[in-house]
Amino acid sequence: MISSDEQLINCNDQASCFNIELHQNHSSEIIQMSESSVARIFNIQRYSLNDGNGIRTVVFFKGCPHHCPWCANPESISRQSVVVKRKSKCIKCKFCCNDADECPSKALEKIGYDIQIDELINQILKDEIFFRTSGGGVTLSGGEVLLQAKFAYQLLKRLKQLGINTAIETAGDIRFSDFLSVASQCDEVLFDFKIMDQEKAMKTINLHLDRVLNNFRQLYHHNINLIPRLPLIPQYTLFENNVMKILSFLKEFNRIKVIHILPFHKFGESKYELIHQNYEMKDIAEPSPKEIDEIKKLIENHGYRVVNGG
Amino acid sequence: MVTRIEQLKRDLFAKTREISLERALLYTESHMLTEGEPIIIRRAKATANILNKVNISIRDGELIAGNRTIKPRSGIISPEMDPYWILKELDDFPTRPQDRFNISEEDKQIYLNELYPYWEKRSMKDFINKEIPSIVKDAESKAIFSINQTDKGQGHIIIDYPRLLENGIDNLIIQLSNLVKEHPDNHFYLAAKIVLEASQLHILRYADLADEMAKNCQNVERKKELEKISKISRNIAYHKPTDFYEACQLFWYINIILQYESNASSISLGRFDQYMWPFYQLSLAKDEDPAFLKTLLASLWIKCNDIVLLRSTSSARYFAGFPSGYTILLGGLNTIGHSAVNNLSTLCLNAYQEVCLPQPNLGVRVNELIDPQFLQKTAETIRLGTGIPQIFNDEVIVPAFLNRGVSLEDARDYSVVGCVELSIPGRTYGLHDIAMFNLLKVMEMTLYENEHNSNVTYESLFEQIKANIRYYVKLMIDGSNICDLGHRNWAPVPFLSSFVLDCIENGKDITEGGARYNFSGVQGIGIANLSDSLFALKGVVFDEKRVSFKELLQVLKNNFNGDEGQKIRARLINRFSKYGNDIDEVDNISVELLREYCKEVEKYSNPRNGHFVPGSYTVSAHVPLGAVVGATPDGRYSGEQLADGGLSPMLGQDMKGPTAVLKSVSKLDNYLLSNGTLLNVKFTPSTLENDSGLHKLANFLQAFSKLKLQHIQFNVVNAETLKAAQQRPQDYAGLVVRVAGYSAFFVELSKEIQDDIIRRTAHQL
Repeated sequence: MISSDEQLINCNDQASCFNIELHQNHSSEIIQMSESSVARIFNIQRYSLNDGNGIRTVVFFKGCPHHCPWCANPESISRQSVVVKRKSKCIKCKFCCNDADECPSKALEKIGYDIQIDELINQILKDEIFFRTSGGGVTLSGGEVLLQAKFAYQLLKRLKQLGINTAIETAGDIRFSDFLSVASQCDEVLFDFKIMDQEKAMKTINLHLDRVLNNFRQLYHHNINLIPRLPLIPQYTLFENNVMKILSFLKEFNRIKVIHILPFHKFGESKYELIHQNYEMKDIAEPSPKEIDEIKKLIENHGYRVVNGG
Repeated sequence: MVTRIEQLKRDLFAKTREISLERALLYTESHMLTEGEPIIIRRAKATANILNKVNISIRDGELIAGNRTIKPRSGIISPEMDPYWILKELDDFPTRPQDRFNISEEDKQIYLNELYPYWEKRSMKDFINKEIPSIVKDAESKAIFSINQTDKGQGHIIIDYPRLLENGIDNLIIQLSNLVKEHPDNHFYLAAKIVLEASQLHILRYADLADEMAKNCQNVERKKELEKISKISRNIAYHKPTDFYEACQLFWYINIILQYESNASSISLGRFDQYMWPFYQLSLAKDEDPAFLKTLLASLWIKCNDIVLLRSTSSARYFAGFPSGYTILLGGLNTIGHSAVNNLSTLCLNAYQEVCLPQPNLGVRVNELIDPQFLQKTAETIRLGTGIPQIFNDEVIVPAFLNRGVSLEDARDYSVVGCVELSIPGRTYGLHDIAMFNLLKVMEMTLYENEHNSNVTYESLFEQIKANIRYYVKLMIDGSNICDLGHRNWAPVPFLSSFVLDCIENGKDITEGGARYNFSGVQGIGIANLSDSLFALKGVVFDEKRVSFKELLQVLKNNFNGDEGQKIRARLINRFSKYGNDIDEVDNISVELLREYCKEVEKYSNPRNGHFVPGSYTVSAHVPLGAVVGATPDGRYSGEQLADGGLSPMLGQDMKGPTAVLKSVSKLDNYLLSNGTLLNVKFTPSTLENDSGLHKLANFLQAFSKLKLQHIQFNVVNAETLKAAQQRPQDYAGLVVRVAGYSAFFVELSKEIQDDIIRRTAHQL
């Protein structure tokens, strides 16, 4: 099956319904958690097989400064919890309680909740035996986990102390010192490369490309284990030119041996409807196996091992 | 060109199944002539009569001879056990919902005019019906438990194959002849000798047939093959086999003979890769072509599908799809505790990959010492998506047997009979499938007993459920023991017994307690629904006080009818955690009640001086057992099925994936369930793609082993499953689409995307 990515955002100015949140995100470097012992997440997914080595538990953090039009988890973008209604689950009570905590069918569902670090560790450790036999562990994803860098650092540090393998998935657009503190607690950093044109990256997905690339370079020199991940998105990143730019950037980093590709998929589509947002990718076809294969070969020809789907 | 294996497979399934009365007629013919003789002698003579006279055949292209009936996959009957159900269902066989058979008008008349009138009031069923106290019958009619094997052979046993293969029939006859001389009054020895001698002649009949067919055969190649069958048959009629071909042939003849003797389900095959290994090596030493040896094995695998079990309609609901129980376990441990995996273990899986038929039902024993290559081969076979092999865990099953007084060496040699029932091969008569106990029904009864109790508390309900479990377990034991006696008094199996240790030493048939280990296995069913129901009940009535206990019962009685009923049902389903998600509060309800059941069961003994042992599996019994339970507080409608498998979560309630399911099951005291358990887990093919998918499955199995679960079987989700999920999303709510950095459930996707995934899935398989 196909895959795409975790990162998100959609900084598209036309997406008017988002504007308020966007402004918030623009203005703040990191959404500072008042406390680093609490995180806002929207899912803990056990038995994840495509987010790093082995059998993993992925924690999806809520909130993201980017607004990639292809985002497969659009519900993750806003920092705020949001109540959605799943029509298929609704049993149409005569008087709707309009309360996600009361709704009997859970058709009303609150996406996003706060969790204490101890509780989250307990949840993660539930699959410890599977981590052990498979070389798996925990992956922090999102949203953009680095928006909650302090928490992530605390969490990963404690997990490392327990011998748990750790990874994050990130777009990397964050103050370096925060990034480094988190990355230093990771066995693996799955690092996204998206739009390689500075201006376009800013305009389309609100991403500071220079900072991202600089972060990558610095992390590399701090001996962080980095795995570049390439979302292959038609009309956005799936150009030979774009991929070549990534490869040429990566050339100087000799330790990088593996690249993940994440072909565009539309599994997120129904979520846009759920949160009443327009899905801009509606009419864009998923890349064909041939297209994916060509990119795969291109990357392989540059001496990398390519993993499709991570 | 169609290969031999493909052709044999096609021929087997070319025609509609029929019923053959031949066995019943020959058995009856003999039985009429032996009035007044001891039952065990009568049975022996009747079996010998079948062996002497039954029509035999060697079908086109067969390398391994031996057919229970001339026509493939025919059902045979044993009216000596229960002539009544056959009479009742005579007209329904071709049209009944499950496991259909054709029967000719002529045969129907023969049954009505010859067989039935003779066996009426003479059968084992008559004995059992007379003996079972009305209080037990009453509980059975309320479907609190069911007693099995009251209408057919007991089966659920594995013979001591090394005794057969390492001695040869002549030596066994000599041994028995000496014992008959030494103990002239022992009917068992005499009976066993009668059938053994008849078996020798039966095999020689095949040799003669092969000779005759060879003589008339125009095809030079085939002629040679038939001559070979004749030569082999003549040798193994007397002597022990000298290579793999001979060993396979003797193995199959004996299996056919066992079928004639008792027409039982699950005369299982044990550790084939262990007892056949020396013979496989002999063949390799003779420089035989490994490809030919694989063809032999594949032929044998096909043969195992020729035997189908004709069950009554009600029994077929519990055990649908002819599970004839040719179960084999591969790998495991040897006597001294080292890994027992050998090249034949791998070859057995390879031959399965070629044949892909449901029998033999292969399983693999895993343990900490398992060879990684064999584990990989196991994962690869699982990925085919047929549910085979199922996996058993030495790390819990060996200790579970030690707890039952089995020696360490014997425990390491365990295998499986029937579907998942654990047994020590060649040493156990375990009545492994003697009864099923409907724990959910007991809960339901307890709830209604308190309908007018205004002081009812959750704690008091819980204690009363326990008390009721204890009360009905006792009744189930009483019923099982009568069935046990029925088989002793009406259906001894001297031939089978002569291949079960220590019957020869003890001079007793297995039904008399001759075997080394004498268990009776009873399954506790419904734990997932039990946990889910009680947890939701406690929450909605006692903790949140949203409805009174009495009101909730009314809602259940009304089967959640009406808006308010639906609202309560939605809340029961969605607002309370369910078993299978690794949540202690709910899982622990089953932990406690299942343990109560187990500890109660193991207090009792059977007439063979053996102990009752608990298990938890359903095969397909979760459907009929659910049909008799009204609506329950887990949101289950009246009559709806229970959770499948035995230990599996309720359909659609495992929201957190397979690791959470395993963790939930691991909380149960699996060491106590020494009669066997069953856990089904669904896998989507995308998770098993390429080498890394295979590794992860192997790693998953290693974690399974460490978690001390006994059993797991994988059903790979295919396009059909996904279509069903579109139709009935509530039953598949937990199906996760697993893609990098993405989180969603299949049923929450748009129809379009679902269709797309279905297309890809179909393509993958």
